[in-house]
Amino acid sequence: MAGAIAMRRVVVKGRRATAESPTVRRILIAVVTLFFGLFLVMPLVVVFHEAFKRGLSAYLSAFQDPYTQHAVYLTLLVAVIAVPLNTIFGLASAWAITKFSFPGKPLLTSLIDLPLWISPVIGGLIYVLLFGRHGWLGGWLIDHDIRILFALPGIVLATTFVTFPFVARGLIPLMQAQGSAEEEAAATLGASGWQIFRRVTIPKIKWGLLYGVILCNARAMGEFGAVSVVSGHIRGRTNTMPLQIEILYNEYQFSAAFAVATLLCALALLTLFLKFIAEWRAARQLAAGSRS
Amino acid sequence: MSVELKNLSKAFGRFAAVQDVSLPIETGELIALLGPSGSGKTTILRMIAGLEFPDAGKIFFEGQDVTFRSAYQRRAGFVFQSYALFNHLSVFENVAFGLRVLPRRSRPSKQAIVARVGELLEIVQLAGLGRRLPAQLSGGQRQRVALARALAIGPRVLLLDEPFGALDARVRKGLRQWLRAFHDQTHLTTLFVTHDQEEAFEVADRVVIIDSGVIQQSGSPAEVCANPANDFVVDFLDLKPGQTGWDG
Repeated sequence: MAGAIAMRRVVVKGRRATAESPTVRRILIAVVTLFFGLFLVMPLVVVFHEAFKRGLSAYLSAFQDPYTQHAVYLTLLVAVIAVPLNTIFGLASAWAITKFSFPGKPLLTSLIDLPLWISPVIGGLIYVLLFGRHGWLGGWLIDHDIRILFALPGIVLATTFVTFPFVARGLIPLMQAQGSAEEEAAATLGASGWQIFRRVTIPKIKWGLLYGVILCNARAMGEFGAVSVVSGHIRGRTNTMPLQIEILYNEYQFSAAFAVATLLCALALLTLFLKFIAEWRAARQLAAGSRS
Repeated sequence: MSVELKNLSKAFGRFAAVQDVSLPIETGELIALLGPSGSGKTTILRMIAGLEFPDAGKIFFEGQDVTFRSAYQRRAGFVFQSYALFNHLSVFENVAFGLRVLPRRSRPSKQAIVARVGELLEIVQLAGLGRRLPAQLSGGQRQRVALARALAIGPRVLLLDEPFGALDARVRKGLRQWLRAFHDQTHLTTLFVTHDQEEAFEVADRVVIIDSGVIQQSGSPAEVCANPANDFVVDFLDLKPGQTGWDG
């Protein structure tokens, strides 16, 4: 804290030793602003512009389409299943990694990132290879009349796979920095494992957890590649919002495609806003923790 | 409550932190575990509390084997070096924590908790600060919250890990005298860990000197100074050759 104040004072008085010259600084800021505008803001503006080009009624009529309605419903349903699953998996793996030491821990830690390294299409393909008609478990599934591919379970599996790292990734650094002294204190005061988790751990990590859940949710609703491979694109049955947007676009229903896209964009903006708040609160929580 | 450690050993990987430590502790004793950092004294304290489990040996509370009881079953009052206060809870709620997590049938009523916490804050001279958050307290105040929190569960033994380590000299002196006075009133069996011999000699009835995970000597401050057991004790206490007795 004292360090930050001292540093601020130096900045007010004059340039820090590590600061760039004003010209370099201006060029860097210009490049970042240009990039930001061109690649992030402009597409967003285009989406909203295209969606509302033919007026509000055309925009709203896009949502009258039962297939679109079903796509919105399916996307929400998948997120409602996948996000809680990954919240539990993420908490469990962050807990295991930060509270215990066991052989193979570094391997597990890097395996959590696996879905981020590989293309989502591969993520979807894994399930096709496993559960498809000619896959390892395909024959057995057909014999028992269980549908995984081209049905809800497949979409949920693919989404869960792709969004697995977000919660754990958000929690591990936070939990590592906080250590387990407070949990130990709670144990000596007679708290059971569940009481420690609920009364000490959850309040300590809640903003980091929320941050991870928000990111996980955003990705779950927006996932295209992996879901595209396993869903089969059956209208009104296995089409999620991103897939529906693609279909509408390919059928030259531009207004409708962009209208559905605005829903995803609104979700992204909301996510950004929540993420900003959660990040800010998590940083404060971390600072409060390190001050004791 | 009496505590007995029998042939305790504990290793972390290949590092033998504690080796064959045996120590009987009488009810009402005030003992300092004194030694350089890395000597294993904190590990011994953590094993008594149930935060660490020995690889070999046994721990008895009042003659009862508690070696494999968990921390929450043992309910030893433990004060952590870094205090480990619950930062999201007020001072009041920190102290009340041990009462609130009791099973419903033995949990005191709300009024009883308020009364008990008020009493404890009075004892540690923090009355009126119940609504503050730990972040709004000084180091010495946090230390006293940690003490009140540990005492709230009515522990039969009080364990303190470097209780005065992170405080400035004046506050440290005050807390030392407070701990001694508190012990004289309550006679609660107390062990504290320190690397500061002056602190150990001033506060404790008995000093247990530890190095490399092994007890080097155990006795009253006067005994230890008069008859140091070995070269390590002479060296660590900085006793000059020919010096007899400890003059304070």
